[in-house]
Amino acid sequence: MNVTLNTETQMIKASEILSWTNDTRFPANELRFHLYWNAFQNNMSTYLTESARRGRSVSGFREENWGHCRVELIKIVKNLYFNDYDLMPFMEFQSPDDENLYDQTVFSVTLPQAVEPGQTILLSIEFESKVPRPISRTGVYKDYYFIAQWFPKIGVFEDGRWNCHQYHSSSEYYADYGTYDVKITLPSSFIVGGTGEHQEIIDNRDGTTTHHFHQHSVHDFAWTASLRFLEYKENFEFAPGKITEITLLLQPQHKKLKDRYLNAVKNAIKYCSLFYGDYPYTTATCVDPAYNSGSGGMEYPTFFTGGAYFLTRKGMSSPEGVTIHEFGHGYFYGLVGSNEFENAWMDEGFTSFLDSEVYYTAYGNPLYSRSYFGIPFTFKNVEIPIESSGISGHRQTYNMDEMQRFAWEFLEGGSYGANSYSKAELMLRTLKRFMGKDLFSRMIKDYSQRFWFKHPRPQDFYTVVSEHAGQDMSWFLDQFVYGSEKLDYAIGTISSQRVRQPQGWFDGEYINRQIKDSRYQSEVIVRRLGEVKLPVDVLVVFEDGEEIRETWDGQYRWKKFTYQKPSRISKAVVDPEFKLVLDINQTNNSMMRKPNKLAPFKWVSNWMAWLQHALEFLTILGG
Amino acid sequence: MMKVFWNFGRGFMATGRVTKMVLFLFIVNLLFSLLLAIPMYNSLKDSFGRSEAGSRMAKGFDYIWWEEFRDEARGLETTFSPSVIGKGAILTNLESLIQMRFFSSPSILIVFGLFYIILHTFLAGGILSTFSQDVPRFTMKEFIHGAGSHFLRFFGLMLFSWVFIITIGGLLRDAFISILSGISSNSFSEVTPFFIRLAFSALTFILLLFIQMVFDYARIKVVLEESRNIFKSTLEALVFVFKYPFSTFGLFYLVFLFQVAVTVIYILLKEIIPQSNFPWVLAVFIIQQLFIFAIIWVRCLLYSSQMQLYRYMR
Repeated sequence: MNVTLNTETQMIKASEILSWTNDTRFPANELRFHLYWNAFQNNMSTYLTESARRGRSVSGFREENWGHCRVELIKIVKNLYFNDYDLMPFMEFQSPDDENLYDQTVFSVTLPQAVEPGQTILLSIEFESKVPRPISRTGVYKDYYFIAQWFPKIGVFEDGRWNCHQYHSSSEYYADYGTYDVKITLPSSFIVGGTGEHQEIIDNRDGTTTHHFHQHSVHDFAWTASLRFLEYKENFEFAPGKITEITLLLQPQHKKLKDRYLNAVKNAIKYCSLFYGDYPYTTATCVDPAYNSGSGGMEYPTFFTGGAYFLTRKGMSSPEGVTIHEFGHGYFYGLVGSNEFENAWMDEGFTSFLDSEVYYTAYGNPLYSRSYFGIPFTFKNVEIPIESSGISGHRQTYNMDEMQRFAWEFLEGGSYGANSYSKAELMLRTLKRFMGKDLFSRMIKDYSQRFWFKHPRPQDFYTVVSEHAGQDMSWFLDQFVYGSEKLDYAIGTISSQRVRQPQGWFDGEYINRQIKDSRYQSEVIVRRLGEVKLPVDVLVVFEDGEEIRETWDGQYRWKKFTYQKPSRISKAVVDPEFKLVLDINQTNNSMMRKPNKLAPFKWVSNWMAWLQHALEFLTILGG
Repeated sequence: MMKVFWNFGRGFMATGRVTKMVLFLFIVNLLFSLLLAIPMYNSLKDSFGRSEAGSRMAKGFDYIWWEEFRDEARGLETTFSPSVIGKGAILTNLESLIQMRFFSSPSILIVFGLFYIILHTFLAGGILSTFSQDVPRFTMKEFIHGAGSHFLRFFGLMLFSWVFIITIGGLLRDAFISILSGISSNSFSEVTPFFIRLAFSALTFILLLFIQMVFDYARIKVVLEESRNIFKSTLEALVFVFKYPFSTFGLFYLVFLFQVAVTVIYILLKEIIPQSNFPWVLAVFIIQQLFIFAIIWVRCLLYSSQMQLYRYMR
């Protein structure tokens, strides 16, 4: 692909040769392509219509702010199977998802003859793209260009049909693997980064420079250019003999965050390699996005954006959290090429799980933080445990949708986010604790590596889990993937009373024992308050220190455990090892014989001190 | 500068003579706060129930419990967060005041807040009457008499001061936001908008303090000169402030620094004491109440030293 960026007009002109091989068992009579940037050519596109429904408008867009991608030429180039043939007359826009006639984000070309299984077709394509104002993590802001989803991208041909959805407001992407060889020409003053190896920089001696990128086995190509980047490069040996070149393109105001960014990338490569298989690429480029560019927190193969605030503090998870997350997408969606349109949880959920596993392994618990006047403060006594990751979002949206939905078919953006990111992360963490760390680690690494450069579907994940668990795990996974019920086990009651002595008439004999039995009759009732059914452990602790562990299949609504012991129950805990992180109410998982009286006093006195101070502050407004 | 320290010292001594009055004001604050603290206590108690979360919260902070509590919180409960602990409490209140977020609080808190402001307007008459005596002496009867006799004029001054406060908090803020969004949307870095926002916050705070100072002198004039016209009093107070800017501003910011010092000491103490068992919880509770007592004392110090200065300059 030869690309020229005109920074005066903010236009990209490009020509490319696309070689596409039909590696399925079905003939392809047509080809389908995405033209994502056409979502930004008017406000009637499906993307912007859906965005407007969610309150995001483009009312501030001026004439020059809109973007587009126009195919100016598409023709077959002669090869073993095909002759030269102009496909332009057969180009047609398609709206497979919503029949929106204004949407031009997918087009098809009917072929003069089918591409039979195993055959390769060569296409010559010329296109022109207008870089939009920053939107959907692409575009131009002043002299900062972040160029993603910018070229006609061929869809995925599978099962005899094209999987090529329109661009939706809350969905990401799906594409086939290939080799990208891209030459980008632009003014020499720009610092450029992109997917893959930056093989060559050629000075054209006319004020422009051509940057040559090459990468095999990726399903996308994105790039960035800016006059202001600080560029840092480091080779990192993440495993014996395995080296990746890390490039960091940093905003000048974040210079002091250089080491934090680089360490985050190194930790991400190191732990992802350990948990999910050795990172197979020779480069990893992290871009610190420009302020106002809206390009932060996004992933592309070998190339991703972080995000940071210049006053971030030690103990806060920025920029590490987002950096690890976006690098992690290099595995789940990058290497394991799931369909983000149809199975968003398989990339976002897996990556959310990955990022918290890596983050907590590398850095431990982050601290709670809050900004005052734009200055972040951390609270050293308030650590955020890994179990809290995602649970709040899930708690508030669990019954809105099932996790397995097309990305644009969720009730609202919050439900898409909570189901695709949080619930899937929580499901994986629950599965990890349910299966055991070692077994789960082998399973997830196997799943990852088995589907590198492939397109797994939910059933593929089911198969791998079941293989490793040694049983069909659908009963477990179905409840979360295709269910929208809550998981909530609770201790209903605990009680301990002296063992009752016989009193009254027994077979004609009157008995009235006055001697008290020193033993206690104790009872624990565990309840299932949600519809999700999982086996749970129950821990019962007695006042003399004795502990009893029980297991309940969790099927019926409640289960009673009774004991006769020399001392009373001190406490009972359902799920004492905190395996079920999807349980939306952890507070009711335990019950003690006596409530802790100090806690409410301690916290209300702290809260009251705040209130007293607030009232005194308010006197500034009075006498 | 000598005048500033001289009147600060005299104000200090005068306030020292009426510790009972400060104690009374503190008790009013405490009782008022208890009215809301009791339902909050019950909410927390109900939420902890007999759960182990209660034990964890007694020893430290259980983030998972808090998230559950927050997600279910209604009304007053929504104000409970880690950011009301220690320095967070001070910063939250400072930010709420400067950014006028008070009115986005739960409605019960707004009602209580407004009632407290009015109550304090009433009490201010008593405070200033007490300090107007040659040798300040606190008796409840005289205090209430002083409060009652000046209340209507003080109430009028309060409403008048709100005109300026709303102007700063509302109109000026709207103008600022529009300027900031213009600058911010054209900025290459978050640094510039950050400093502009910070400068505006500082400016707003300074203006709020200035309004407070001018109206303090207006109230002093009402008490000392039995002035009936609140507008005239305010104008004369403004003239007074600008006639003796070094003394008035110097004294005001000296007391302000004193308050900052008290607050910093409190934050440092609060940060180092672990509240992991009853004795430490009790110790922190006592420190918190001493801190509230101290800031009420400093507020009285401001009144008394300003009154000393006004008399001195007059």
